[in-house]
Amino acid sequence: MTRIVFFFLLLCFYSVAKAQTSTDSIQRLDEVVLSDVKLKHYNEGYKLTVLSDSILRKNGNSLTDVLRFNSNIYFKENGYGMVSSASFRGTNASQTAVIWNGININSQLNGQVDFNTISAANYNSISIRSGGGSVQYGSGAIGGSVHLSNDSDFTKHINHRLQLGYGSYETENASYNLSFGNNKWSGSAGISYVRTENDYRILGSAEKNENGAFNNLDLNLNLGYVLSQKDVLKVYHQNFRSDRAFSSTLLAPSNSKYETEDYRSMLEWAHVGDNFTSSLKAVHLLEQFKYFENKDLNNYSKGQAKTWLIKHHYKRNLSKNMALSVITDYSYITAEGNSYVDPKRNAFSATAILNHQFSSKFRYNINVRKDVISDFKSPLVFAGDLSYKVAETYTLKFNASKNFRVPTFNDLYWNPGGNLDLEPEESFQFDLGHQLKILKSLQLKLNTFYIETSDLIQWRPNAETNYWNPVNIANAKHYGLEVELGYSKQVNAHLFNLVTAYSYTETEDVEKNQPLYYVPLHKGNTALSYNFKSFTAYYQHLFTGEVDIIGGSLDGYDVGNLGCSYDLNAAGKLNYILDLKVNNIYNTYYENVALRPMPNRNFNIKLTLKF
Amino acid sequence: MISKKITLLFLSVTLLFSSCSSDDDNTGNESLGDYENGIIVSNQGNFGQGNASITYTSNDLSIIENNVFSTVNDRALGDTAQSITFNDDLAYIVLNASNAIEIVNRYTFESVATINTGLDNPRYIAFANGKGYVTNWGDGGVATDDYVAIIDATTNTISSQTITVEEGPEKILADGNIIYVAHQGGYSQNNIISVINAVTDVVSTTVTVGDVPNSLRLDADGDLWVLAGGTPSWTGSETGGKLSKIDTSDYGVTSIDFAGTEHPSYLALENGTLYYYLSGSVYKMDTDDTVLPTSAELTGLNFYGMEVKDNVLYGVDAVDYTSNGMILSYSLSSNEVTNFADTGIIPGGIYFN
Repeated sequence: MTRIVFFFLLLCFYSVAKAQTSTDSIQRLDEVVLSDVKLKHYNEGYKLTVLSDSILRKNGNSLTDVLRFNSNIYFKENGYGMVSSASFRGTNASQTAVIWNGININSQLNGQVDFNTISAANYNSISIRSGGGSVQYGSGAIGGSVHLSNDSDFTKHINHRLQLGYGSYETENASYNLSFGNNKWSGSAGISYVRTENDYRILGSAEKNENGAFNNLDLNLNLGYVLSQKDVLKVYHQNFRSDRAFSSTLLAPSNSKYETEDYRSMLEWAHVGDNFTSSLKAVHLLEQFKYFENKDLNNYSKGQAKTWLIKHHYKRNLSKNMALSVITDYSYITAEGNSYVDPKRNAFSATAILNHQFSSKFRYNINVRKDVISDFKSPLVFAGDLSYKVAETYTLKFNASKNFRVPTFNDLYWNPGGNLDLEPEESFQFDLGHQLKILKSLQLKLNTFYIETSDLIQWRPNAETNYWNPVNIANAKHYGLEVELGYSKQVNAHLFNLVTAYSYTETEDVEKNQPLYYVPLHKGNTALSYNFKSFTAYYQHLFTGEVDIIGGSLDGYDVGNLGCSYDLNAAGKLNYILDLKVNNIYNTYYENVALRPMPNRNFNIKLTLKF
Repeated sequence: MISKKITLLFLSVTLLFSSCSSDDDNTGNESLGDYENGIIVSNQGNFGQGNASITYTSNDLSIIENNVFSTVNDRALGDTAQSITFNDDLAYIVLNASNAIEIVNRYTFESVATINTGLDNPRYIAFANGKGYVTNWGDGGVATDDYVAIIDATTNTISSQTITVEEGPEKILADGNIIYVAHQGGYSQNNIISVINAVTDVVSTTVTVGDVPNSLRLDADGDLWVLAGGTPSWTGSETGGKLSKIDTSDYGVTSIDFAGTEHPSYLALENGTLYYYLSGSVYKMDTDDTVLPTSAELTGLNFYGMEVKDNVLYGVDAVDYTSNGMILSYSLSSNEVTNFADTGIIPGGIYFN
């Protein structure tokens, strides 16, 4: 520990001594405007896919739907709108990190993020960073990370957006977003609500989806204030409330429900000096759930976790082309609930990132991080990435990293079974990427990756005690290929746009010598849109291959959505946009988790007012 | 005289023929179905994942057939096959997470009826007085909604009448018109046996036994043996197991205690000998013994269920609960494993057909 602190102090002194008086005005502005600066500046060797506002608005409010149709990520959704977990490059649900404005928000209780408890409506952009990211984003960023960003806009403006939607199965959507700014202030506020009976007919039978109703409310408020030429203060707050019945399977009825609440708050002070920037963040996260076995009774089990976090990011420009960042954070986490006896965790981490633009063609980053956590030992993790511009149209990218996932509170403290002897899961991985960009209209990304994970935590029955214990037992290998293609073409006023992604993922459970469950070998998705003046039409297609499940396999499926929108008053101050969408247009029967059929063909109509 | 010889010859040929055929695949004229004469294993499958199944195997485990129900009936069995009980020609498969009982011909496994009303977390079933009695937890988290459901065994329909019982009814056993229910306690722990009169369908009395009673056996003298596992350590109030003998004429109880951290299970009984499983080992004792055995018969086991028949001990191993499980047989003369075979996922119950 002493050695580590000394090491970082040395790095700081070195950076001060070598400092030169150069500033990068773009980077300085980014520091003020972006909520997750690292995402833009230290990831040259990683594949980053940014989903813009227009993409986010096409798939309703469900982040699961947005990502299913617009990224390489595969989702396991326990029936539409129910608990949904991501598998990124074949990794499991707790090996994908979700980063809210730069902060890791994976559950402290189970390590996962339920992608149906995140509304896509209230973020400016959602980015997908493929590959290991533990050094920068902490535990769980093994397959990759999903970044939710609320960026600040200090330009003078006031914008309102109101959306009202109605669809099949008595689905009601409403959202309102406000964004404003002047030179001193920036702010955005969002409220998004969805309520549905979700009682879709199960194709090929007389049955309906039983006990599937849910409603979700997301509230979002962000403010930025320019204190001085060099100082900016920012506040972020988000609250998500979800009340969902847990739907039946084809073979097991259900009468249960699940209530969750998440509160996330952050205060940030950013200071931009002549040759350094500093950002201090104070964060409070609260997650809680109530599970009702019988939704008609006021009889539930509950769990809650609170996190207090202080994070400091100091960046010093060592030369015109070289910068060093030192990130330190301290967090204090507590949990309570029916199955814990008030566990607590203290965690400290220190990270150093060296960022070097060697030449106009060649850039690289070197990252190293050490965590000191109160209840177990954590490994030293590191990452290196580089990008080399071989030609004007062709860039080569490479990254290699060691990553980790810490045991969750459930793993350590669940009664019965919690195991205090657990160690973090580890992974080592590398990723080679090619990016081709031709005339702005054609963009091709090709990535090949290899991931080896060890000491994976799995719950296993214990013959001695007769209950289950988590143990560091499994090892896995993942390798594969991802292709992303973007193409746009304009012919007079006709604009065509195509975005397509395909992934091939091989996995192996080393112990059992078989593929991992619920990882499709092939997954592909395509979005095609056509725009002519005020009219836009689009088609989305998702193909998911067969997956192995316990004791068998689950068929693959193709699903298509078709939508169109018309801007009724494009030139005026008040815009009306009318949107009509048909989901599952081929009326395909499909299950993405066994025995949980997904919705048949359904319709949604939406009116958007912008002023 | 000649005719007598011919008759004998004819008989012996017939015998030869029929014994051959039953040795081969049980498809001879005498056979009641493919799954007569052998062992039925209920594979629970993973809770909520609907992969429960039925395995058939010959007594020597040389013939094995998995997914019997779905093969015969061309549909999935259901979610979490908790137990099977035979009644005449029928087998009643209790599907816990499906809240259903699948009724099949026990020899052919062709579906006869499905009961999917009136059950709430059903566990086990026993038959008496022309009725089936099904233990139900109700909501696992509610201590006051537990009951025994009643099925008309001639029409295989559920009765609107239920018998309210205490928390966590689990194993159930009929002795003539008397029914014994072991209250393991559901998500909690309990320590009683309810006695139900199958004529009046009311609880006539309850008998206190050890904590968390997990097995019931009747011996030749009409005494009821109850093995209780004790309260597990994670509750913070751990108790050891207890083996109790209940005199069914006056409900007097005599017991032998296990050590405070010992949690035995899977009581079996054959010819006056009791067998139980404890921490990966099988122990045996005489019903007349007054102390527990100190040395194990079999060790290094990982059982999720166990039965004894004809001096052969059968155990099921759920392995890692996500791969196919196993059934193993052990000779109780030599204490050696004699055979093993793959089953479905999480094999739990062993039933001699």
